[in-house]
Amino acid sequence: MKADGVKLAVLSGLLALGCAAAVRSYAATPADTVSQRDVAAKLAYCEVCHGVEAQGFRGYYPIPRLAGQPTDYLKNQLQAFVERRRTNNIMFNVGHVLSPAMITALIDDFHKLNPKPLGGAPQDIVPAGKKIFGEGLPDVKVPACATCHGPEGKGNGPFPRLAGQLYDYVVAKLTNWDKERGQDPGKPDTSAIMQPIAHNLSQSQIKAVAAYVSTLE
Amino acid sequence: MKLPNARILRPISGCAALAILLVAVFTVAGRAEHTGGGLPAKIAYCKDCHGPSAQGFLGYYPIPRLAGQQPEYLANQLRAFIEHRRTNNIMFNVAHSLSPSMISGLAANFRALNPPPLGGSPRRLAEEGKRIFQDGMPDANIAACAACHGPQATGAGIIPRLAGQVYPYVIKELVNWGKERGQNPAIRDTSYIMSPVAHSLSRSQIEAVAAYVSSLR
Repeated sequence: MKADGVKLAVLSGLLALGCAAAVRSYAATPADTVSQRDVAAKLAYCEVCHGVEAQGFRGYYPIPRLAGQPTDYLKNQLQAFVERRRTNNIMFNVGHVLSPAMITALIDDFHKLNPKPLGGAPQDIVPAGKKIFGEGLPDVKVPACATCHGPEGKGNGPFPRLAGQLYDYVVAKLTNWDKERGQDPGKPDTSAIMQPIAHNLSQSQIKAVAAYVSTLE
Repeated sequence: MKLPNARILRPISGCAALAILLVAVFTVAGRAEHTGGGLPAKIAYCKDCHGPSAQGFLGYYPIPRLAGQQPEYLANQLRAFIEHRRTNNIMFNVAHSLSPSMISGLAANFRALNPPPLGGSPRRLAEEGKRIFQDGMPDANIAACAACHGPQATGAGIIPRLAGQVYPYVIKELVNWGKERGQNPAIRDTSYIMSPVAHSLSRSQIEAVAAYVSSLR
């Protein structure tokens, strides 16, 4: 009787240990983890289009620099592609297969990269762009870009880094802002902030700002 | 020692001098054809192998379409043959005698041609090829071809046009990418961008993409 009780206690203990071990092993391998190898392969894939060290690349389209970008911004944009808030068929396909763990790993990596700007902007309009970036254009209700994007254009949280971004990419984004961003009326997003600003900038002002930010390291 | 038959030698020397003169005249004439005035002759020479409208040709090897090709790409490839970045003995010999102005003249001429595709690819593969080309295979880390080559596969700058390219040529290039391109370790070129893509594609995926692009006008 006593022996049976001991046996039962031992069995219960073993069972509890077994359960604990099972729970622990479950916690160690939840459905959403990602191996270093898979992350490395995915990064190499991103860099096919986004360039060496994600410094940006000129394919058929100007493909943006991701290096040094705030993680919040990158995450929000990947979600925006998947949710069709931002229209881009290629990036929709890229984005919708990424697991949350993969997204976290990728954006951390891109944020840490710090290559030189790709270059290729007209230098003569850089001073005009610097002035707009730092002071805004009060007459046409354009606030200083530095207010949100930071004095060095490094961005913060949902506000993207512009430093070193491709000249032609920035021009294309500002020119097409409301044809590409904020495309789901049911899900208004932070892109609404830039809409009037992009709208109020003239093409030559857009080019000047784009030239300036593209030179920032 | 007395020279025998001096009288006989004299007319022979005269003939030799005339022969040398004639050779010199023809050489100068030939050279003139290969600079400024020789562009039509050089184009005709290219078309011997690349087809009457440079639409490509199936010789012993599949010989690529040059019609509609990006001039920057053509110039870069001609330099790549010369610099042994791209290994092809025939094209090395063709390219290394071309002056820079001849190269730009040829590239502009081929760019302006627009014959229909040569044809000859299996049509049943084109649909899968279209999907790979436009969307990529994000799960397999294969980038959408359209991101760099453009949605109509027309290319841009150093990135080649694929529309209408000869089916077996596209297959040959993708299968042998790392053995044919980027072969001069001292001169790194843009061919490295395609290395991981070409390497990741299976034979049947390569055939599908090749079938699709070869059908595009």
